[in-house]
Amino acid sequence: MNNPIASWFRRAGLAALTLMVGAVASLSAKEPLKIAYSDWPGWVAWEIGIKKGWFEEEGVDVDFLWFDYVASMDAYVAGNVDAVCMTNGDALVTGATGKPSVGIILNDFSNGNDMVVAAPGIDSIQDLKGKKVGLEEGFVEHLMFLTALKKAGMNPSDVTIVNTPTNETPQVLASGAVDAIAAWQPNSGQALKTVAGSQPIFTSADAPGIIYDLLYVSPESLESRRDDWMKVTKVWYRIVDYLQDESNFDEALAILASRVSVDPAEYEPFFQGTYILSYDEAMERWQDASGLDSVYGSSRAVDAFNRSVGVYSERQDIQKYLDPSLTEALDQ
Amino acid sequence: MKRASRSSDTVSWFAIRKPLPGERRLLLTVLSFVLPLALWCLVSYVPFIWHPDIKLTVAADREGVTTVYTAGDHVARSYFDEYANAVRRENEAVQAGEGTTRSGFSARRNNVKILRAVAPLAIEQGWISENQVTDNAAIFDVWEGLATGRLVSEKPELTPENLAIVQEDWQTLQAHWAEDPEHEMPSDPLLKLIPQGRLSNPVYLPEPHAVLLTGWKDWNAEPAEGRPSLPERYRHSLYIVFSGFFLAALAGVPIGILSGTYDFFSKLFEPFIDFFRYMPAPAFSTLLVAIFLAHDAPKIALVFVGTFFQLVLVVANTTRQLDYSLLEAAQTLGAKRLDLLRRVILPGITPSLYNDLRILLGWAWTWLVIAELIGVKSGLTEVIETQGRWRNFESVFPVIILIGLTGFFTDQLLANLRPLLFPWTPEAIGQKQGPLVRFYRWVTDQQVYVRDDKPTTSDPA
Repeated sequence: MNNPIASWFRRAGLAALTLMVGAVASLSAKEPLKIAYSDWPGWVAWEIGIKKGWFEEEGVDVDFLWFDYVASMDAYVAGNVDAVCMTNGDALVTGATGKPSVGIILNDFSNGNDMVVAAPGIDSIQDLKGKKVGLEEGFVEHLMFLTALKKAGMNPSDVTIVNTPTNETPQVLASGAVDAIAAWQPNSGQALKTVAGSQPIFTSADAPGIIYDLLYVSPESLESRRDDWMKVTKVWYRIVDYLQDESNFDEALAILASRVSVDPAEYEPFFQGTYILSYDEAMERWQDASGLDSVYGSSRAVDAFNRSVGVYSERQDIQKYLDPSLTEALDQ
Repeated sequence: MKRASRSSDTVSWFAIRKPLPGERRLLLTVLSFVLPLALWCLVSYVPFIWHPDIKLTVAADREGVTTVYTAGDHVARSYFDEYANAVRRENEAVQAGEGTTRSGFSARRNNVKILRAVAPLAIEQGWISENQVTDNAAIFDVWEGLATGRLVSEKPELTPENLAIVQEDWQTLQAHWAEDPEHEMPSDPLLKLIPQGRLSNPVYLPEPHAVLLTGWKDWNAEPAEGRPSLPERYRHSLYIVFSGFFLAALAGVPIGILSGTYDFFSKLFEPFIDFFRYMPAPAFSTLLVAIFLAHDAPKIALVFVGTFFQLVLVVANTTRQLDYSLLEAAQTLGAKRLDLLRRVILPGITPSLYNDLRILLGWAWTWLVIAELIGVKSGLTEVIETQGRWRNFESVFPVIILIGLTGFFTDQLLANLRPLLFPWTPEAIGQKQGPLVRFYRWVTDQQVYVRDDKPTTSDPA
């Protein structure tokens, strides 16, 4: 203790540490919240808040980063962003294999936008026996496809899965390399158009509540900047209110369509396949219950499912993945 | 033989390893571009050659079908009748009072969509502007015009069948509005226009004029707020390529020269670089995003990784090619080790190095598209990727051509600059110079310099 050199080192070390902590703290206070989003209609809706300047109005600095869906989760796991838009199932996969996250905003559930699109001549899931299906392995469409198989009384071994990036599924189906693909809009719609006579043989509307879409925040960011996330939640419900007013429909459509560089008329049907939850509807689905009407029940079902097909092996604690308290505190 | 006899006075077109006269070379150069263009035009504009699709000018939704076509989409010729007939059957059901019943917003929206089906046609005819598609008053005006015959669509014409539908719908609307002064949409379904279109090639082979027009339009288009315009994207892509290339050259050229000069550095660096260059640069993309985050840095790093390793090896090889007798001569004249490097090797290899870098710049361009896809998509690639995903190849082709032209002209420029920069090289001396080069030579009086045989390398230390 009395060694002057050692004590000098200790003091210098302490000072350096204080400086570093201070620097990190001041840095994080100034940094905007980095949110990764991708081309799912329920998430593209954030664009309305961005374009209308509602984040500035609420006094929160955000930086929305546009990714492909799987790339957005990679960016989250790599720590490049503070939050990412994911489905409840993929949040579990990302958490079990990469980095845990907490869902704070329940945007919507998929109501038909996720589809299994089959080439002409294939009219049902049963017809796929012995055939090839292109989808992104281990992610949401895989889950939906296996659910479809289960409902049709088939085994995963009855078909061959070809690992295909979701945004390339239309071309892959068109090339004839696979007999069906699983994808969400806009990719599924593109596949339908590309291959004349192809049709959806199973959609998320056949298993509603199997796919919820949320904003998942990193636990550190949620803890240190809860107030800012509260403001983000506020903006989301401004967006929902805006969307609920039918006189805004054309304007909203134009904003969303422009983000994904598509004609508004073409984008319109995607909205029907995405059920954006109003505040009250969201609060109902935030209730912890079994069954797919609750985001908890849905997540538990997905967790069991993921383990049964070997995506990961350890049971995930659903409570840790979901935090409705910010939405509750909003109390419209 | 005719050809042989002719070659006595003029050079034959097919003389072996003999350069053709200037005007013939020019003619062939022009032809090399004109021929593929002519082929493209032939396939695009002569209908009986191919044209397996129908490009829709009027589209319609079908009840309960998820596939939505909009004007401009391509439908296979064989499938088109099935599609049009499905819409006809729906109209018959509506006329018989058996159409799908909707209520409230959904019913009104359905009718709005039916009316807006004429919008693409109206835009093409110049009746409304592109941002009037959602302007109901303007759309009503078009329907009124078409129904009364005030407006007549030419190229594409509205089929008599569709004209009859327009008139019937307009009467329905008039009857509805007689009771509703607000001019709201009725909730009973209107009749849908039957899809129509014209013969066309598949979507991936747009017509030359469409590519030109769309390219011009996209280039001048006002981008959505906060998004970059095409010229800005172009600049951004140039920035990525040149930054990556510049950094690779900055680090690679010294290492390459050292490796080519000293066996010590060659054995120290080259084996590993030789091993590393076989790893495909895109394999590092996720790693680069993890290290450099998602914006420009990982993209530049990818171009760097893709270029650097090749560059070192090529430069080292070029350095080794330098005529050894030059080094011996310089040593005989008393040059020290550093002098050799500075005053013999460097000036000696500079012309070849310039050529290497020119070729490697082309190499760097090939990484651009992959680089811009990693992390947050950006630049020209984002256009190629998103528009390609939507099968808007009319917007994709101009961007690809722009990249090609940029590469071509940069290379031509650099190749033409070479004799100016290195007038003592044999290629420069043998080459016939254009007027610009001759003027430059005259201004800078480099003729003197050229006649001086290898001035730099014979310069004694």
